[in-house]
Amino acid sequence: MKHNGHTQSRRETYDWSALPDGMRNAFSMAGLVLAASFLGFGALIRDLGVTLSAGVFSVAAIWALPGQVVFFSMVAHGATLLATALVVTLTAIRLLPMTLLVLARVRLRNAPRWPEFLLAHSTAVTLWVIASRSMEKWPREQRLPCLVGTGLMLMALMSVMTVIGYMLADNLPRILSAGLVFLSPAFFLTSLFANACYRFDYAAIIFGGALSPVAVMLFPDFDLLVSGLVGGTAAFWLFAPRRGRSH
Amino acid sequence: MQDLPMWIKIVLAGTVVTYLWRMLGVMLISRLDPQGAMMLWVRAVATALVAGLVMRLMILPSQMMSVTTLTNRLSALFIGLVVLFTIRRNTALAVFSAVLAFMLMAWLQQG
Repeated sequence: MKHNGHTQSRRETYDWSALPDGMRNAFSMAGLVLAASFLGFGALIRDLGVTLSAGVFSVAAIWALPGQVVFFSMVAHGATLLATALVVTLTAIRLLPMTLLVLARVRLRNAPRWPEFLLAHSTAVTLWVIASRSMEKWPREQRLPCLVGTGLMLMALMSVMTVIGYMLADNLPRILSAGLVFLSPAFFLTSLFANACYRFDYAAIIFGGALSPVAVMLFPDFDLLVSGLVGGTAAFWLFAPRRGRSH
Repeated sequence: MQDLPMWIKIVLAGTVVTYLWRMLGVMLISRLDPQGAMMLWVRAVATALVAGLVMRLMILPSQMMSVTTLTNRLSALFIGLVVLFTIRRNTALAVFSAVLAFMLMAWLQQG
């Protein structure tokens, strides 16, 4: 792709030739699971009476499935724009730690910052999972362009899946559509365990899961924030790795 | 406000309020040490948060998923984890087993 000729001394540049390879990364297990989820999203917006064009526009414009679902279900039920914005922004807080973790694996310290703002837009749970398992084998200067490619390809594929889901909505057997919805949580939990390497990773999964029912009852609007902050902090505090260990 | 075109509503109450947190991440990352304790804590919080999200989806299922009981949903997840840890950490196989177990239980419950 684009090669920057003006490499100044001490200045790092990204190698954008990795972008097409990143696009191929979208066709992976993580991409397949996301595809099934977006099939479900297409069926859901059909169910809510949202137009297909609005549903498809939201895919690349928001790029956070829980936020998209919340947005359309609130708008469809006549909520005000302000209330909708507040709830959507609450569901998006989880993207802050995701962005930090993805960028920590791929960014160059002395390169221009704008590609990071571009990558941030496609960052969500799926990209975090892809980044945690496939970035190590790439040279550092190719990692960010590679993930940008993955993100762009995922957005294009998921727009298509939304259209297909919208058209299939009335024809899928109930058990199959329930299975499609179940796929995402099953994939998230499996990936958390598969990517866990420290003891605090395992503790965080267990604490977060165990706290969730309590948090749902006590803080129905902030339950994710509570399970994440309390469960994660407790896990980190009790099982933090010893100082001085590499990585 | 209610008669704005849909795409403007999506941008205002969707894109802007979602990208806000991502942008904050980009602005904070240059001040954090990627190998430091702070990033490990962030990782623990993100992990617990996603685990909480999974559990929330189990106890407050969407209409489509509510064809099964909570016990069935949780045991399907457990079956997936057993497969993950017995068969060489194969994620694809584990997810597939969990979903298959879920659909089987839904089918048995209906019949």
